[in-house]
Amino acid sequence: MTQTISCHGVARRYGSHLAVDQVSFEVHGPSVTGLLGRNGAGKTTLLRLLAGQELPSAGQVRVLGGDPAGADALARQIVLVREDQAFPDFKVGDALRAAGWSYPRWDHKLADALVSDFDLPSSRQVKKLSRGMRSALGIVIGLAAQAPVTLFDEPYAGLDATARRLFYDRLLADYTEHPRTVVVSTHLIDEIADLLERVLVIDRGHIALDAPADGLRGSATAVSGPAPAVAVFVSGRTTWEHRTVGPLASATVADMLDATDQARARQLHLSVAPLSLQEVLVHATRPDRAHQAERVGS
Amino acid sequence: MRTWLSVARYHLLQRLNYLVLPWAVLAFAFAVNLAIFASLHASGAGTGGSRYYTGSVATIFIFWFIAGLLTTTRSLPFGLALGVTRRTYYLGSVGLGTALAVAYGLGLTLLQVIERASSGWGLNMHFFRVPYILDGPWYLTWLSAFVGLALLYCYAMWFGLVYRRWDLLGLLSFIAVQVVVIGAGALAATWSHGWHSIDHFFTTISAAGLTGVLAGITAALVVGGLSTVRRLTV
Repeated sequence: MTQTISCHGVARRYGSHLAVDQVSFEVHGPSVTGLLGRNGAGKTTLLRLLAGQELPSAGQVRVLGGDPAGADALARQIVLVREDQAFPDFKVGDALRAAGWSYPRWDHKLADALVSDFDLPSSRQVKKLSRGMRSALGIVIGLAAQAPVTLFDEPYAGLDATARRLFYDRLLADYTEHPRTVVVSTHLIDEIADLLERVLVIDRGHIALDAPADGLRGSATAVSGPAPAVAVFVSGRTTWEHRTVGPLASATVADMLDATDQARARQLHLSVAPLSLQEVLVHATRPDRAHQAERVGS
Repeated sequence: MRTWLSVARYHLLQRLNYLVLPWAVLAFAFAVNLAIFASLHASGAGTGGSRYYTGSVATIFIFWFIAGLLTTTRSLPFGLALGVTRRTYYLGSVGLGTALAVAYGLGLTLLQVIERASSGWGLNMHFFRVPYILDGPWYLTWLSAFVGLALLYCYAMWFGLVYRRWDLLGLLSFIAVQVVVIGAGALAATWSHGWHSIDHFFTTISAAGLTGVLAGITAALVVGGLSTVRRLTV
């Protein structure tokens, strides 16, 4: 498969603050990657670096084999939809027209369909749109551009649940029809979990986790029940969290449980549940686990 | 070339800023001056042989400066998000500003021709004629107006780029450096007793010669803007 994105030792410094530090990863061929992390972790900076809107202080960013800030022909292959995109004094229709001129594979039909799906008023000034409507405009541009490298940064800030569902459905349908490299940064992890093939977790500018989404789901298990039974069960296992409240306890073990484990848990009257992607991420990026990078299943 | 045109087209989506307002503002200034001259005329003043210059044609030049500022401030983030490099965005914007300066210079020239033919709109008003710089043959008026508009547009674009790249402190430093350079030049001229030759230069240079100097400055401004946009981020 062809390499579409490659970052090698990439850093971006703002004064004394390292927004992105020593980031290295590659994306090959068509895929949907989730870029996850806490507020201020460096997600937006990383996406801007990939789109050539930001320039690295160190390291090398390559998209489709070239410098994303280097040539027009390459720049037209990349679309970045930003939560904080600033627009000139444009109406919605103007913004879409400008985007249509810019992207060689722009899909007018899809754009029109999305505009009516999201109920976007074409003749309204972009600055008069609500936050959710503005997000919808970004989504229309991001999907209709049909760019080989499509980057979404928090694409659905302010969008209601119905509109978010619409975005997932459209993204999936469009991706199935035109496979390409998609990177989505988001906080609503479990909503989009089913779409993701791969998960990149960024924490304080570092890649904290880089794993296939399937390997991550259920890669940790929550165990709860009588305190002594939990203590027996988790002994000898990597435990992320162990909490005791009166006679009861709960713990998180960084393991996928096999049949023997399951049977043993039942014997001890414990309830077990695999952690969702979101819960795995919360554990991976807790302050007390900072800089403890790990790679799961890759 | 195609990408430059797409940048120009992107800006022209804001018809108001680039096509309508420069002339609307000028028309307003013209109407105000016309009203003043008409009332003066009615009271018998201004009918003698002296020339009355208004200087208000400057409004379109000032507005074109503002248009240049908008190009590299308000319009820049989305423009750069639309798959063009910084260099293309900049050169496409310079191209549009310059092309419209050619057209607007021609417009000002035509209006000057009409003003001459109608003996100052019947009121001996010199609105589109400015002593020395916009007062020669039509082709020189066209050239000088075009270069003046292009210069202000490119100068303003550079201000906008400096602001976007280094914020307010950078912008203030940028202005301070210009003040220091001009001040140092004045001091140097004083120490070397060079004021006489500078005076001589400005009194003997023709409008065409001055236009040439301004064109040179414009080219330098474009080079400066291009070097500033290279590492700009949005």
